[in-house]
Amino acid sequence: MNGRLQVLRRSTSLLPLLALTVTVVAFACLPAYAGRPLETYDLFNLFEAFAHIGLITLGFGLLLTAGEFDLSIVGIFALSGVIAVKLGQDHPLLGVLAALSVCLAFGALQGLLIAVLRIASMPVTVGTYIALLGLTRVVGDNQTSVTFDNLDTTLWIQEPVATIFSPRSLLVLAVFGLAAVLFSATRWGRELRALGGDRKATRTAGVPVNRRLVALFAVSSLLGGVAGALSSFNAGAAITDPGSAPLTLGAAGALIGGVAVAGGRGNVLGIFAGAMSIVILGQIFFVAGVEEFYSDLVFGLVLLLIVAINAPSAKDWAVRLRAARHPPVSTSSSSTGPRPTTRKQRQDARTHAAATAHPPAHPPPSRGGVPGQPDHLPDR
Amino acid sequence: MSSTDVAGRDVAESGREGLGSRARSVVRREAAQPGNWVLCAAMLVATLVGAQTSRFFSVDNGKAILVSTGTIGIAALGVTLIMVCGGLVSLAVGETAAVAGMVFLFSLDLGLVAALVAAMAVAAAATALQGAMVGAWQANPIILTIAVASILTAVGARLTSKAAVQPASDAYETLNRTPWGVPVVVFALLGLTVAVQALMTATKVGRYMYAVGENRAAARAAGLPIASTVIVAFAVAGALMAVSGAFSASTSHTITLLGASQLTFNATAAVLAGGTAIFGGFGSAVRTLFGALLIATVTDLLLLRGADLGMQILVKGLLVLLVVLLGHLRTSRVGA
Repeated sequence: MNGRLQVLRRSTSLLPLLALTVTVVAFACLPAYAGRPLETYDLFNLFEAFAHIGLITLGFGLLLTAGEFDLSIVGIFALSGVIAVKLGQDHPLLGVLAALSVCLAFGALQGLLIAVLRIASMPVTVGTYIALLGLTRVVGDNQTSVTFDNLDTTLWIQEPVATIFSPRSLLVLAVFGLAAVLFSATRWGRELRALGGDRKATRTAGVPVNRRLVALFAVSSLLGGVAGALSSFNAGAAITDPGSAPLTLGAAGALIGGVAVAGGRGNVLGIFAGAMSIVILGQIFFVAGVEEFYSDLVFGLVLLLIVAINAPSAKDWAVRLRAARHPPVSTSSSSTGPRPTTRKQRQDARTHAAATAHPPAHPPPSRGGVPGQPDHLPDR
Repeated sequence: MSSTDVAGRDVAESGREGLGSRARSVVRREAAQPGNWVLCAAMLVATLVGAQTSRFFSVDNGKAILVSTGTIGIAALGVTLIMVCGGLVSLAVGETAAVAGMVFLFSLDLGLVAALVAAMAVAAAATALQGAMVGAWQANPIILTIAVASILTAVGARLTSKAAVQPASDAYETLNRTPWGVPVVVFALLGLTVAVQALMTATKVGRYMYAVGENRAAARAAGLPIASTVIVAFAVAGALMAVSGAFSASTSHTITLLGASQLTFNATAAVLAGGTAIFGGFGSAVRTLFGALLIATVTDLLLLRGADLGMQILVKGLLVLLVVLLGHLRTSRVGA
């Protein structure tokens, strides 16, 4: 019991669980304020929306866990959709294969560049993101969308299976299932978090870091590619400018899923819960008839909030604020009392320590910080 | 680390050998920047291609390039401040400029200056909040600005009900004038470049920006006011984006959120092409001025040669990638 409570207390599992519970309850209560009962097609739509952004969220989440950042997944999403539609008019499978090979090759190349040069992935993928958006327009003959004339495929891919699923949503759920098994049953999950936690130590421990990075970026592009091809087949057209929605929703889903922005924390089930929460929130807006700008606003604010929570110094800042408001009453024992957090308190502590002699053999341990780094000097 | 090393050597050399060698070492330092060579080479290629392109060397085309250099450059000056103090890039430049442009057009009946001030104040307030989150909390600036872009898109759609904005009066026409044949936006860009350069090099907060961007931990240990430095950088950046938005609203007599990301891409590419370091601590307003001129020229050339929007975006993306790779190779070689 105690162990389970410990698990719950870790924000990795708490946040996605909380978000999923709240959104599911809100969704179940929808009839109360939407003015109509929930139908099975609401659930169908829910899984369709999940199929649209789920894989992008997974890609974002996996790479963030490994301490990397892949903005280009949204560019790949758009490019893959256009390629699959253009080459797949007669043979859809051929189009998908072509699109996915392009994605795989691009992802592996990008991963190789990042791994071998040991360059930060964020600026690199900002560049490739912009370039891919441009390339998508070029391939799409500068139209805003490329229509997919293969109506049979479009009908097949959105045909209801077991009332609430479709081949598309089942495929996406299967990918999530596969990823969940792979990253919990094999050592890849631990290696993924190790890569994001301490790259140097991971290398020293004998993990082939470069190979893992190349594979990860390839997988991320592949996920974006599958999502793009499926979405454009489903819509009957490939949109050349995906806009900022996949970026916002994907990042928000991954972070709500308990993935740390700084890396080293996250798992597939959490990412699933995060993506699902975002999708349910979107469906609540949709069913309740909320106008688009409100949903944009709420998604933006959610992402803003979660970035703030994830910010490394936000916690210290809150602690300082609280300490400043409620100064500790007793200063007799500095080892058991609260850490001195304001400048005044540290001065007091210093004079106190000087008065009671016995210099400490070691500096006081810093909470989770790197030893020897001044992680509690205030930013004034 | 590299730039302080170089700067330290400069001071020592100039103390020993006088001003002539100081100027020479500045030249040497600038020549050692591969980014500068890329910039020069790109400019040369652009001019050569321009010579092969009909209508490139004409007064009208020159004016068109200057106008787009102006709107890109003013926003890029803001991005320079953000980048130098360690805030990486903002993915909400276009959205900030567009929403500020809307505020500008709406409040034009108060007069041109009041409308400009209103737009700048709104944008500066929004970016100052982001600066606080980045500066005080170390929030991830990229994901933060993705969120901000979404929020601003919503606000913009709300403000305009998705229709084209009508200016409240025609006071904005002043911004479209061309005294001595040169568009006002060019004077604005030059003036603002000087002002931002002065802010960055001649004021305390400006020099703190370099220090914070160069090494945040060291700046913290030295007791520099990190949070307020980053807030100032972001706030001024927001005001500059607003000026850019006001000018583009004036040129097209309206403003929409469509294509807002173009300004984001252009401004980012301009700052990086100018040679400002993406992880902060190095860069200048003058560099960005040249970067903006290059981006505007390249865009114009691609347009004249019949390249469509997709090709323009592709070229800028590849340019960003190239500059990032070159910058990384330079710093890692110095570090090794």
